[in-house]
Amino acid sequence: MPFVNIGGKEVELDEDGFMVDPEAWTEDCAKYFSEGEGIPEMTEDHWKVIFYLRDYYKQFQIAPMIRKLCKETGCSLKYIYELFPTGPAKGSCKLAGLPKPTGCV
Amino acid sequence: MPEVNGLKMPAKASEKEMKNIHIDPVPDDQKVEVALQHLDEMRKKFRSFVMAMESCVKCGACAENCHTYLGTKDPNNIPTNRAELIRKIYKRYFTLEGRWFGKLVGAEDLTLDVLEQWYSYFYQCNECRRCAMSCPFGIDTCEVTFVGRQILHWLGMVPKLHANVGAAMEKAGNHTGLPKPSLIDTLEFLSEEIQEEFGVEVNFPVDKPDSDILYIPSSADFLLNPYTLMGAGMFFTYIGANWTIPSTVAEAGNFGLLFDQRFTQRHNVTRLLDASQKLGIKKIVWGECGHGWRAAKMYIPTLADRPVKWPIVHLHDETSYYVNTNQLKLDPGKNNHPTTLHDPCNYGRACGMTKQLRDVLSACVTDFREMTPNQEKNFCCGGGSAILFDDPEMYDLRIKFSAKKAEQVRATGVGANGDGYLCAPCSICKAQLYPMVEEHKLGVEVKGLIDLLGKALVWK
Repeated sequence: MPFVNIGGKEVELDEDGFMVDPEAWTEDCAKYFSEGEGIPEMTEDHWKVIFYLRDYYKQFQIAPMIRKLCKETGCSLKYIYELFPTGPAKGSCKLAGLPKPTGCV
Repeated sequence: MPEVNGLKMPAKASEKEMKNIHIDPVPDDQKVEVALQHLDEMRKKFRSFVMAMESCVKCGACAENCHTYLGTKDPNNIPTNRAELIRKIYKRYFTLEGRWFGKLVGAEDLTLDVLEQWYSYFYQCNECRRCAMSCPFGIDTCEVTFVGRQILHWLGMVPKLHANVGAAMEKAGNHTGLPKPSLIDTLEFLSEEIQEEFGVEVNFPVDKPDSDILYIPSSADFLLNPYTLMGAGMFFTYIGANWTIPSTVAEAGNFGLLFDQRFTQRHNVTRLLDASQKLGIKKIVWGECGHGWRAAKMYIPTLADRPVKWPIVHLHDETSYYVNTNQLKLDPGKNNHPTTLHDPCNYGRACGMTKQLRDVLSACVTDFREMTPNQEKNFCCGGGSAILFDDPEMYDLRIKFSAKKAEQVRATGVGANGDGYLCAPCSICKAQLYPMVEEHKLGVEVKGLIDLLGKALVWK
């Protein structure tokens, strides 16, 4: 498993580039991943989605239903794709330090 | 790991991930020997496999019937050639002519390179069994893929996706890794959504004892397919069913069928039977999941390690019964979009479920147009057997595997105005088609069948 240096800390990533330990997440991690996910600049809405995902994950140990993510953050799915070009699963979950969703998704 | 020695292949599970699914990967220097032992066991056990090894005359009828070959033009994706990757080994070690004349009769030594070839091509097979239908001998090449993947599993060569799903099933009771509180949270959210959109009160009981119906949803519905869950909830509420969803097996899929037909597949079945007994239910109703329905309908009777006293039916056996007996008031005008139907391969070719889908869909939409070919002759979506890999190389293959499907959808004209529906009542088909209808610019939205039924229901 590769390690990358983010803001002076060694962070472990899996082969898909997702964080192995969601607890090790910092805002610097989101900024670091944004570069690889085609996001030129982090906006307030990016952070809103990321913090919602992190809160949900903290409570339920899983990402929320995408429809719920959209509803609770007030972002349409189309807008989520504009914010995170690789989509809610690969893009926003990665930036939020959540594991890559598995199964038929 | 998109390419090894020029072979396209999905990233493999790590040693740790393999241990999570109870396999100690075999060291490279022993792989060949161990693979041959397993191949020997398999040929002695499965006549369907031996038939595929012995009977093929290379007529080539399967070639143009395989969408993976049509999409990639890779000769190893011709079903008989894919099977040949094992057949040449079988010949070399288990036939007289192969032992004596080797390469002259197409026999070949097993090497690590050949095993990598197996890994690459058996995970480019969608296990859709369209080739089996076209074979004049009735050879089911899917059985060869099954054998190849099972041996690879025992060697420790499984895609990360499949291995992690197996581990999630054991840990959480579903493929997506949803703990019970998250199941309940999502279902409560959907109750609110139904109230808001349809103005009806629908509850989703979880683990409710003494329920009549045990509903087995696909866990992907909890992340990706809200209307599939909402539709099922609305249907059961409409007919006044006493139903529940089991938190210990909130999973219609069974990836065991796809890579490990021993422990992984049986584990899922055991969970189901435990939940059925514990909750005192009377009938099991299966959600929208193609391979899972095949695993349930065709394998549980022989895989179960105890008597199965509950009937197991599909959701659309139920919905079609209610539609055909006029017990549902439906307004197709609520789905006023040109709609075509993709028959999931495991419904049409493995379980004989084609008429039910049509009976329900025609009652729920205004403009239903069949694609051609259809029913048991339908082409796979290109995601079959969950080859839903998303690294750029494998994703590119998925686009190629779905080219035939795109052609079929286009020919119906449903997407001509950009407002068509593509009904695909299976979680793998949905996960494959959501991005593929965009890649191929088909002008359609992908919908489950129960999604459309839920929307069409007219409440008193």
